[in-house]
Amino acid sequence: MLAAPIPPPLTLGDRRRPGWRAWALITPMVAWLLLFVIVPTAILFVYSFCERDEVGGVIFHFTWENYQRVLDPVYLLIFARSVGYAGLTTIICVIVGYPVAYYIARATEERRNRLLLLVMVPFWTSFLIRTYAWITILKQEGLLNGLLQSMHVTTGPLSLLYTPTAVVIGLVYAYLPFMILPIYGSAEKLDNALIEAAYDLGAGPLRAFSAVIVPLTMPGIAAGTLLVFVPAIGMFAITDLMGGAKVPMIGNVIQNQFLQARDWPFGAALGVVFMLMFAVTYGILQSRLARPKS
Amino acid sequence: MKTLQTMLLALTVLWATVALPAAGEVNLFGWSEYVPQEVLDGFTKETGIKVNFESYASNEEMLSKLVAGGGAYDVVQPSDYTAEVMVRRGMLAPLNFALLPNRKNIAPDLLDLPHDPAGKFTVPYMTGTVGIVVNTEKVKTPITGYRDVFQPQFKDRLVVLNDNRELVTWVLYSLGLTSSDVSAASLAKVRPILAAWVKLVKVFDSDSPKTALLNGDVDIGIVWSGEAAILWNENKKFKYVLPVDGAHLFVDTLCIPALAKNKAAAHQLINYILRPEVSKLISDKFPYTNPNLAARQLLTADQLANPASYPASGKLETFRDIGKAAAEIDKLVTDLKSAQ
Repeated sequence: MLAAPIPPPLTLGDRRRPGWRAWALITPMVAWLLLFVIVPTAILFVYSFCERDEVGGVIFHFTWENYQRVLDPVYLLIFARSVGYAGLTTIICVIVGYPVAYYIARATEERRNRLLLLVMVPFWTSFLIRTYAWITILKQEGLLNGLLQSMHVTTGPLSLLYTPTAVVIGLVYAYLPFMILPIYGSAEKLDNALIEAAYDLGAGPLRAFSAVIVPLTMPGIAAGTLLVFVPAIGMFAITDLMGGAKVPMIGNVIQNQFLQARDWPFGAALGVVFMLMFAVTYGILQSRLARPKS
Repeated sequence: MKTLQTMLLALTVLWATVALPAAGEVNLFGWSEYVPQEVLDGFTKETGIKVNFESYASNEEMLSKLVAGGGAYDVVQPSDYTAEVMVRRGMLAPLNFALLPNRKNIAPDLLDLPHDPAGKFTVPYMTGTVGIVVNTEKVKTPITGYRDVFQPQFKDRLVVLNDNRELVTWVLYSLGLTSSDVSAASLAKVRPILAAWVKLVKVFDSDSPKTALLNGDVDIGIVWSGEAAILWNENKKFKYVLPVDGAHLFVDTLCIPALAKNKAAAHQLINYILRPEVSKLISDKFPYTNPNLAARQLLTADQLANPASYPASGKLETFRDIGKAAAEIDKLVTDLKSAQ
């Protein structure tokens, strides 16, 4: 008589160690990370310590020179300015995006889905085309100037395009949905009972908002901040197209090293420093979030 | 790990298959917005050779791709100073003149330039200049050179190419120097002048500087002559001026990389492009200066009268390769733009 096979008992250890099936499932992701994140980052890191030759090739000869150049005041100022623009963009996105996200989250389900669709509709059009649309609106003989003059608000055309204001408008426009969606995510889960409890305990609307609603939607704000701030620092297309490429951002400088100046090692060094900055920003945000819980 | 190895192996095999030169195919690596599709279609129709076209937006982009060993191209389109580096580094194959009978159509003075003496490796595709465009409806003062453009009265009314070497070159010309004069001493002289100039500019744009002029955002531009020619065709108020201090003449060439797999077809394609009636098609679409004298005879009087395409002769100079000084120039201009 053959005994029926006894299934091995399921222990915690088994569950913690993934089997080959689990590995097979994550293989595409691991391969993707390896090929398109780890390997390029490693190449970038190695290049950043190399020298360039006259054609723009990379000579594998160790040097600190590229990092010394990154610390040049010229580039530090550009770093600082890029952070400034990205920070302003993030703040405006929070101020404009928060009420919108909150309103959508509190709307009836049918309405909510329609509004969410509206937030996402711009993504159906290419980003560059949408930026060119802004050029049509803001240019000297453009739609906005035409409207203002026909309404007799202004007498002559305003210079709107190719100014820092145009750059901020472009950045806010491009990244606003990335702020709205995560805030919506946390606002939707907000328990109405908690807000009612705040009112019952004597809080006014302002107090309820600052002491209950904002802390509960903080994860959304933090995620949105990260999603807006990080890409906004590196953006170069908007500064070129809407800012007239007048004031270089760190994204423009890096792009230049690879396309115009034929200086890959320096571009790589800038990229590495840039990535470290992202990591630090992320680290700070994470610790801020973790603190109230502990 | 085994799976990964298999995947990599599969990728390599796939790559090898793709990279194999199929008989009757030629790989062209050229500028975007420079080679009309009908030219390529016409070549395929006549010879049965398929043209695989890949494009780039700057010489540096093309060069880095070739240096990195990516792709096996049969015909490339570098500008003069880039062709010079490629010749020096042995990246180009000498042309077989017997296979290029139509080379005789090219203006002789363009076949013997410093970047390729005696034209052994390159043959001109199109040429052009960098000059001043003036909206004569808005600007009434005469403009003849760079110093007339960079006046305080034109602050925020200027568009210029977003190209660091061009910017530095204009200052060098205004100082009576040449575009290759990029010694530390020359750049020190350039710095204060360029610092003042950069502050006056409203838009830096190399891709489509005509847009800001057409939109009325600016009144004066320093742009590629092809852009200026399109503006003139659009409206005669846009006048093209070759700066008296000197102007950059660029010669975009056709040449064959030393590693090209299908050199016979490459010669065939170049010879086809050098035909007068084919070269005319390129001029119709992209109104640069056609170096093909036989093709010029096929152009209309209107095309030839375009002052941007065919300017009265001026003080012209082609760029030479400046090697590592490009990094110095990049730093200088980045610094000045950032300090505004």
